[in-house]
Formats: sequence, C-alpha cells, structure tokens
Amino acid sequence: MSAKLEITGVYTAYDKADVLEDVSLVAEPGRITCLLGSNGSGKTTLIRSILGLTRPRAGSIVFDGKDITRLRTHKIVKAGIACIPEGRKVFPKLTVEENLRLGAYAEASASVIRTRLESTFEQFPRLGERRQQIAGTMSGGEQAMVSIGRGLMRAPKLLLIDEPSLGLSPRFVTENFGIIRDINARGITVFLVEQNVRQTLAVAHYGYVLSKGRVVAQGPTAELAARDEVREAYFG
Amino acid sequence: MDAGLLAQHVMNGLMLGMMYSLVAVGFTLFFGVLDVIKFSHGDVLMVGAFAALAAYTALAGQALSPWLMLLAILAAAVVAMGLLGMAIAQAFVLPLRTAPALNTLLITLMLGTALREAVRLFYPQGANPKPFPALLPKASIDMGQFNLRADNAIMFAAGILSIVALQLFLKHTKLGLAIRAVAQDEETARTMGINFTMVVLITFGIGSALAAFAGVMNGLYYNEINFGMGLLLGVIGFSAAIVGGLGSIYGAILGGFLFAALQTIGAVAVPFASAYKDVFAFGVVILIMTIKPTGLIREKISERV
Repeated sequence: MSAKLEITGVYTAYDKADVLEDVSLVAEPGRITCLLGSNGSGKTTLIRSILGLTRPRAGSIVFDGKDITRLRTHKIVKAGIACIPEGRKVFPKLTVEENLRLGAYAEASASVIRTRLESTFEQFPRLGERRQQIAGTMSGGEQAMVSIGRGLMRAPKLLLIDEPSLGLSPRFVTENFGIIRDINARGITVFLVEQNVRQTLAVAHYGYVLSKGRVVAQGPTAELAARDEVREAYFG
Repeated sequence: MDAGLLAQHVMNGLMLGMMYSLVAVGFTLFFGVLDVIKFSHGDVLMVGAFAALAAYTALAGQALSPWLMLLAILAAAVVAMGLLGMAIAQAFVLPLRTAPALNTLLITLMLGTALREAVRLFYPQGANPKPFPALLPKASIDMGQFNLRADNAIMFAAGILSIVALQLFLKHTKLGLAIRAVAQDEETARTMGINFTMVVLITFGIGSALAAFAGVMNGLYYNEINFGMGLLLGVIGFSAAIVGGLGSIYGAILGGFLFAALQTIGAVAVPFASAYKDVFAFGVVILIMTIKPTGLIREKISERV
C-alpha cells in the first residue's frame, strides 16, 4: 500500500523570489524519510509544493509512478497522499467526528469511512469519547490527535507530517514520535518535516537537510547525525 | 390600533422578513466560502422573477393547473438562476481570487447594473412594471378583523421549508460538510481532497437559487415585478447579513426578520408617513453596527493555537 515519492530539480517561488532551488529528494516506499532544516529554510514550502498548494515553477514531482507536479490539490490527495499539517489545522467549528470524516473525503464508500472511523476511535479512545465535541474547544494535545487521526482516515500511501511537535508538551512530543513509528509499521511511507533533530533522527531511516532552499546534506540517519554540517547546524 | 390591523402588519413583516432572509442567506454563503461580497445578488433575484414570468408566458397556452404552473415556473427560475450563479462565480468571481476583495465587489456591482439594464432593454416592455400571475389559492380565513390569506401562509411555509432543507443539507451531507470546511479553512479543506472550485460553484448555485425563490415569492406577494426590484432587496439582504454577523446562517435569518420588523415598526409606530419606514430601518441598522460592529451573532469559538 505504500508508494515512492520522487522530487527532482524542484524550484518554487513566491512572488518571483525562489524559496526552493533545485531540490531533489526521494522518500522510499515503506520508510520514514525526514527533512531537517531551520526556520525559513523552505521545509513548509516543499510540503506545499508536493500538495500543489504552491506550484513549483520548474522540476518534477512523481508519486507512485505518476507525475503530480501540475495536478490540482484534490487530485494529488486522490493519488493517495495525506497530510498532517503544521499547526494541526483542525476545523475549529466542526466536531471531532466531522473533522475525521473530512480526512476520508476522497473515499466514496460510506461503509469504508465508518470502518475507518471505528478503527480511529480504537486507536485514540479519547477521540471516541469526544466525537461530538467541537474541535476548537479541545486542548492542543487533543487537537494534535484529531489532526493525526484525520490524516490516517485517508488510509494514505504516503503521509506528509509537518512539524508535529511544534508547540506540544514534551510528553506529547514523545507520544507523537511513537505514533509516527506505528504508522510506518503499517507500511505507510512517511515524509517527516521536523525541527526536533534528535528524536527525528532516531525515528527516521533516511534524512535530508535543507538550508536556504537547497539540500545541503543527506544520508541514512545514523550517518547524518555524525555529519559535521548537521552537528554544526543543530547540535552546536 | 386594533388587534386585527396589528396582526396584518405582523403578517406583512413576516413575509418581508422571509424574503430578506433568503437573500441574506445567499450573501452569507458566498462570504463563507470565498470571503467575497457579490453585489449582483439582488439583480439575480430580479432576473429570477423575470425568468419565472417568461416561463409563465411560454406555458400560458398549455392547460396547466395553477399548482403545476407554479411548480413549473418556480423550477425554471430556480434552475436558471442556479446556473447563472455558477456562471457568475466561474467567470467573474473565481478569476479574481488573488485580487483584492474590493475588485470582486466592484465587478459584481457592475454586473448587477448590466443585468438590470439587460432586462430593461431586452425583455419585452421590460422598462414597465409587469403583472405577476397570482397562482396561489385566493382563499382566506377570516379571523375577526384579520384575514389570514392562504397564499401568504403557503409562501411563508415554503420559505421556512427551504431554509430548513438548506440547514439539513449543510449539516448532514458530505457536500454540506465540504462547504462548511471550505468556509473555515480553504487550504486545509483542499488537502482533505475537496475540490475547491466545485464547492464554490455549488455554493453560488445554491445561493442564487434561493434568490430566485425569493424573487418568485416577491412577485406572488405583490403581483408585480419590475427590473429595479433587485436593487433595494439586494441592499436590504446585504444589510441583514451584516447585521446578523456575516458568515452565520442563523445571523442572516435573524437579520432578515429584524430588518422587516424595523420597517414594520417604522410604518406603524413612527408618527410621520410610512414612506419613512426604510429610513427608519436603515437608521437603526447603522446604529446597531456602531454598537456591535461584528454583527449580532458572533462566532463563539476562536481557534486555539
């Protein structure tokens, strides 16, 4: 059920200023690939480029053997990609259940959606207890759960996760990384964008480092942790 | 004033409030999904009423019962305006998404004028007020000094029914959920796999169909339509949506009935001639906006970071 994501020579610009320059990377099927980089290095722009929210001006993005570079966002999602966005982005005025159902919007069968809903409630019993609660009234940690559950409702081949630990308490951060490992264990390809370097390198298989819109280092995470560029940039 | 006359005024206020609400709901729907004000909305209502009249003229030769005729011309108006609303969204509103909202407001304002002038110039004798057929039963229940007219009761019930149907659609269907999701966060909605363009087109279709419904209701109520009828109805519907709190369906309905209530009070209670009822109503609206700039129904839940 997993699939490969191949990004080749992507340039993405806002108002004619390139944010990404010649970015190439691969997320291998069934593995966790991480993208490290400081604020403003272009991490979120890369996620936006993959999802078609900001179209690359050059380069190609191929997913599961299909060129998705110029597709519209809902078509890209239909190809089997889901996203757990930065800042969680739950729909604040909708209930927990409505949020989760939206995650499976691309799925036509009502019974499949119901089954996924039940298995999400099994995985996150807290969401089951609060299925009718308005998502905007929940705590940050609970909203993170809604956002993760919503991403999984898609039953994606590839899951993009953008800064999952941002703004969460350390306990939730550790829990989140455990969940990411579980998701991957189900065979879903994971592309993880993070600033929390230590835990990210511990959970991911392969990593890329982005700086000022360019890939400056890459390698298996065990090697990457020892590289000078990474040590300098993150471990001081 | 006696009770019968008062009841008459209340009934009139309710009928007007229903029409205003239907128009205001459109404004609120459009603003919800796209954060734009579509100022041609009142003129779409007018075109809807003329579409119904044209359908009536076309079908006049057939020996249709009044009920069938009414359903046929209502369907014609609703479908035609639904399509017109979609076309307007596709041709004038969506292409301007990256432009300032003011541009959308201006272009739809001009489009409204174009629609108005087109009906005036190209509809046969379009410059004159047109009689609108009375297709509803004329029976009435005599309650002392107050006559409860069957046609008013039917129109009011139909209005309520359409608003309830809209609410059920928004609350309980997948498409309705998609519309609400787009209204809250367009970008995240798109990453859920929602076809944003389709949601916008459908929303504009629904809002414009409701305006057509209000236009037919207006024709049936006054037994007359004219090319300029959409202007004031558009402004009133817009004010109602703003006073209620733009983006809230309940707010729009509340605003619609509130405006009608103000007009009625203006006509009844204010000592000078009832000609000042609009001045009175708009004056109070301005006052409300000064006191509560965000409208009466505020969004209760703010997004937590």
